[in-house]
Amino acid sequence: MAARRWVRTGAFAGIVTIFLALVGLIGGFTDVFLIGDEVTFAGLMLLLPAFVAGFVAAAPRIEGGERREMSLGEAAVAAAVAAASAGFVFALAVLFTDLIGDERIRPIFLNVSPSLMEFVAFGQSTVVGAVILVALSTMAGVLGGVLRAAPPVIRRPVTAAVVVTVLFGFLQRVIPIALDQLSLERDWLYHPIHDGLTWVGAAVVAAISAGISLLNTRFGARVRGSLSSSIGGRSGLAMSPVRLIASVAAVALLIAAPLLLGSVISEVLGTVMVFALLGIGLNIVVGYAGLLDLGYVFFFALGAYSLALLTGATLNVYGVPPDPAISGDLNFYIAIPIVMLIAAAAGLLVGAPVLRLRGDYLALVTLGLGEMVTVLVGSPWLVPLVGGPSGMRGITDAAIGGFAFRDPQRFYYLALAFVALAAFLSWRLATSRIGRAWTAMREDEQTADAMGISTTRFKLLAFAIGGAIGSLGGALFAVKIGSLTPASFQVIVSIQVLGLVILGGLGSIPGVLVGALVLVGLPGLLREFEEYRFLAYGAAVVAVMVLRPQGLVPNVRRSRELQEEERAQDEWAKAVEEGETPGELGPPAEVTT
Amino acid sequence: MAPSLRGGTLAGTEAPHVAVARLGRFERLPWRRIILVVLGIVVGGVVVLGTLRTLGLDRVEGGYSGGAWRDFIVQGAAQGAIFAMIALGYSLVYGILRMINFAHGEVFMAGAFGSFFFADAYAKSGFLNRSPLLALAIVTLVAVAVSVGTAVLLERLAYRPLRNAPRLVPLITAIGATLFLQNAFRGFFGPQPYGYPKPTVLAGNITVLGVQIQRTQLLVLVVAVICMIVLQWFVATTRTGRSMRAVAQDREIASLMGINVDRVIVVTFAIGGVLAGIAGVLFSLSFEQVQFTMGFRPGIAAFTAAVLGGIGSIGGAALGGFVIGLLQAVGPPLILTGFGIPSVFSLKDAFVFLVLVLVLVFRPGGLLGTGEAEKV
Repeated sequence: MAARRWVRTGAFAGIVTIFLALVGLIGGFTDVFLIGDEVTFAGLMLLLPAFVAGFVAAAPRIEGGERREMSLGEAAVAAAVAAASAGFVFALAVLFTDLIGDERIRPIFLNVSPSLMEFVAFGQSTVVGAVILVALSTMAGVLGGVLRAAPPVIRRPVTAAVVVTVLFGFLQRVIPIALDQLSLERDWLYHPIHDGLTWVGAAVVAAISAGISLLNTRFGARVRGSLSSSIGGRSGLAMSPVRLIASVAAVALLIAAPLLLGSVISEVLGTVMVFALLGIGLNIVVGYAGLLDLGYVFFFALGAYSLALLTGATLNVYGVPPDPAISGDLNFYIAIPIVMLIAAAAGLLVGAPVLRLRGDYLALVTLGLGEMVTVLVGSPWLVPLVGGPSGMRGITDAAIGGFAFRDPQRFYYLALAFVALAAFLSWRLATSRIGRAWTAMREDEQTADAMGISTTRFKLLAFAIGGAIGSLGGALFAVKIGSLTPASFQVIVSIQVLGLVILGGLGSIPGVLVGALVLVGLPGLLREFEEYRFLAYGAAVVAVMVLRPQGLVPNVRRSRELQEEERAQDEWAKAVEEGETPGELGPPAEVTT
Repeated sequence: MAPSLRGGTLAGTEAPHVAVARLGRFERLPWRRIILVVLGIVVGGVVVLGTLRTLGLDRVEGGYSGGAWRDFIVQGAAQGAIFAMIALGYSLVYGILRMINFAHGEVFMAGAFGSFFFADAYAKSGFLNRSPLLALAIVTLVAVAVSVGTAVLLERLAYRPLRNAPRLVPLITAIGATLFLQNAFRGFFGPQPYGYPKPTVLAGNITVLGVQIQRTQLLVLVVAVICMIVLQWFVATTRTGRSMRAVAQDREIASLMGINVDRVIVVTFAIGGVLAGIAGVLFSLSFEQVQFTMGFRPGIAAFTAAVLGGIGSIGGAALGGFVIGLLQAVGPPLILTGFGIPSVFSLKDAFVFLVLVLVLVFRPGGLLGTGEAEKV
């Protein structure tokens, strides 16, 4: 029964809305405005699940082996049913809360605040509020459903417009600063009183992004064709002109960002770059070689602390700070290669005994190693070497001549330079013989072994190179902060880096950058969301793995492999239906050992 | 996998043997074996030396009395019983799905946290002290319900869609789920720790067979042993237990024999949840505190226990739990004190991780396992 499925989708969306309310993503954000006086973040969170429920309910179904698109009318009905049930479930929860009194629930669920209750009642009585809630949810859902059933030439631009507009709403504390720096007028785009976009601004942003998206559809292909022929690019050009322009713009933006955005935001961007560096390193281990390393914080800590020791940092103690048990007095640029060598050697040493283990066991051994580092650097035992719980201070500022890099804007460029270097190295590696050996090993270790690839050696190599780049990230982090405490070297770092590599797309270098910007940059820029960042991380990792395993900016070869698998499965399904023996077109053999 | 051979993926990787020839004899030494032997000797030496030096210490020099050792052992056993119960959850799921349910520590945390609000309410109304048995039973039921709910939801939403995905995909998902669950609970209830009430009957010590033991620890040991016996009986004799074993042996054949594999998997997660919920209450009663981060370290210790005992085996998980508990309680003072290391107990988690690493390196099949785990 289709209707039952719709109701179930909707009920699930309703439960998600309740969840969002309970963790505080609705009640705490009633005064964060995205667009005009009307669209707040709380409102977005309240109606987004219903919208998504409508979108999902209207998705094409596979019926009898055939893909069946819904007509607009059907889609609207399905979406309305789903979204209404979503609204209904949430409204029930609100009524229930009101019945037993929100002040009695608050001691347990801290976020059931008066402002939440007022917000979901729309300033009316609870019952009227509930009716409004169901009505609004239904409207949001119908929008979602109609959007899903609309032809791509409409769906894509509208989706792009909505997403980009919301993103601009979020960046309300970033873009105005840039506009000010460029001494451009900002009041037309962002509301002068409560920070969100103005409706005019939102319309402009939506129109522009819809236009760009339209260029990328089939309709835009003709325009693109004439564009590229007028530029004179023949088919030999590796990139389409649109992509070329986008890449150039992205690079220009990366270079100009700190100048445009001032030192507060540059600080965040510096952190983004450090994490991008870590991501590039971990990407080699996980994305290229297919070894899941959950203890990447090991190399991060190793880099930071060995740099501190080599460049003459002191223990963090009151009075005259003593030198640690081992102390060098090297220049940052001389210390860096040594740090990387130490890390590579540590990678080899740690890797040699454990790399023969099967994938998931390897993951846990590395997790254990990472945790050991966390416990050790914070333990009183190692106070004479790394300062124990109070850490170290007085770390070099990586000056060249008299030009120090401690200032956030300058540090950004230092980090960017290293990121560019690491990205280039990693890109060249990926296409080299080593990279191809990694790919072979990742896809099928036994076959690779049979083809004469020494898997142990290439695994070790990946571990060493990944470790060296990770230690570079640690060293830069030390320079950025200027002092070290064990609090910065928790297991969460490993998971954060893994999360951004996965979100961006395993094996994809631009993906790492996008992942770092989204997972590290966005929460850093929106201070209110700070405490929700790890919630978002977890949700993002699960969602990516379940819904889009290739990531946001997929590696071409990886996604092609995934697609081929899918196609093989489709073929197989078809063959079964026609009563043929699947034969050679069987689905990828399931690994059951 | 067949598709990966298409599109010339392997083109150009045929050269490594040339490199082998060039690097010569040095390269062909059994480096792995050598590193392992050296590592083994170093670890063994440190353990023996540390133990001897600690036992040679007088009380004045920081040595421990016989009573102190007995306390360490009892404490370790009680702690180990809790680890064993969590470890069973890892082991059962691994046995059936060949998947490490990394988020199981958070299932434990969820149960403990869920039960807290009931325990707290009962403590305030005086019910907890008036009829502690009934109150604790209700509190445990709540914990079990919350844990089972969390475990089953996790399976349904995060793992089931990935059942045929490559092995690392569910593991990564589980890590995401861990982070998500931790922070969801932080969002619900806030980051602060809550004091877990304890009925007065459980306060203080009791003498069993001439050994003084805290009442809570006795409760923990008794409940844990009962749970394990029941579980063993369940898996060995009931119909559901039989289908669980069948699915663990061969999922496809089991489904051909008319076993509803999906249902068996859900039941497995649910059993893991039941044990985790009970463990959650026991843990909270022992440490008198709940917080959203409380599941992570015990989770890893329990996983280590499961691996140590031989993952996939029930007896192994139980054994491993006790061993890890004892190692954690006795190991640091016994081995590290001898080297004059200050505050040895701050290193007890590092100890667990070291054991995890060593077990996986030297005996990946675990104490009771077969050694099958080394390679695919």
